[in-house]
Amino acid sequence: MTDLDLERLGDVWRRQPDPKELEELRLAAETVRARARRAQVADVTAAIVVAGVMGVMIFYNPQIDTFVLGGAAILILIFSQLRQRKIRQLEMQSLAGNAEEMLEQSIARVQGTLKRARYGLIALWPAMILGVGVAYVADRSGALVEWVAQSRWLGPTFNILAGGAVAATALHLYRSLRSSRAQLRRLIALHDAFKQERESSLSDD
Amino acid sequence: MDEEDGQTGASATLNGETPPFERIVGEYGPLISRIAMSYEADPALREDLVQQIFLAVWQALPTFRADASLKTFIARIAQNRAISFVAKQVRQPPTAEMPELVESDQPTPEQSAIEANERTVLLEATRRLPLPQREVIVLVLEGFDYAEIGEMLNIAPNALALRLSRAKATLKKMLERPA
Repeated sequence: MTDLDLERLGDVWRRQPDPKELEELRLAAETVRARARRAQVADVTAAIVVAGVMGVMIFYNPQIDTFVLGGAAILILIFSQLRQRKIRQLEMQSLAGNAEEMLEQSIARVQGTLKRARYGLIALWPAMILGVGVAYVADRSGALVEWVAQSRWLGPTFNILAGGAVAATALHLYRSLRSSRAQLRRLIALHDAFKQERESSLSDD
Repeated sequence: MDEEDGQTGASATLNGETPPFERIVGEYGPLISRIAMSYEADPALREDLVQQIFLAVWQALPTFRADASLKTFIARIAQNRAISFVAKQVRQPPTAEMPELVESDQPTPEQSAIEANERTVLLEATRRLPLPQREVIVLVLEGFDYAEIGEMLNIAPNALALRLSRAKATLKKMLERPA
């Protein structure tokens, strides 16, 4: 043991911040809470809107393909909401545990992100075809396509926007892949440091 | 302000219920701020970290069991979020685990102005500790007893004593040779 007076250092450490700092903390916390609440409301609203649109589509166009596609969209929505909730719960559990376990879960999560980014790059093309399928079902009469074709600039604009969206998605997935790989390396290094510390404590014990 | 008295969840809760978020911010905000400071020197990033910790606490509050210590619960979340934050920083190389390889943070004008402050020196020394040691020292400085720390970190008392001994030795070196 060393002669470091941790009790005195603890008093120095816990010295009260000034009222301005406390007010800044309070404001930061309030901002975070307001943002989180807005995100919750946006999530629920988006889910209701998508489910409503699909419901209306099925109601006004009660064909089997509309039903299948609309039903699939609603199922995907429910599945993604449940999954998000589960991920948040797991994250909260890991944050309340010890650092090594938390890092293990972070590693598993980043590995999952990596897998999803890889899968996303592959699944981008079938998803586009599915999107075209949904558009075809929604515009069975062809009125929308005809309306677009009548305009000189609407078609090219739509093509540029759609092409841009696909390129941006692919770029985002690629960047996510790269940053996830770098993050995984850092997490593993950090996890190893904690593991080493624990193992050396046990061996010296 | 009564967060420094180390009260446990039983007394820190209102009739066995989780206190409102505003009260948590008032009582444990400084603890969260200090933990964030011990992991992040850059003021902008630190603000981001503090916000992330508040968000995590807000999200985790429904899972808090009122029979446990709220202070321990919040400190654990803050520490883990901070470690996870550090792990995400691109500029933080894995070699930062070795204290002798760590370079000091570039002092900001604000930091320079209060350089003589004992608290700043302690904070800077703590920031240069390897993460596993920093985790223990921060909890000791926050006033948690060894049993609480052992429980939080899920390590046996002997292993904790050993890690703390190493952390104290490293911290002493850091304080004797400020960056």
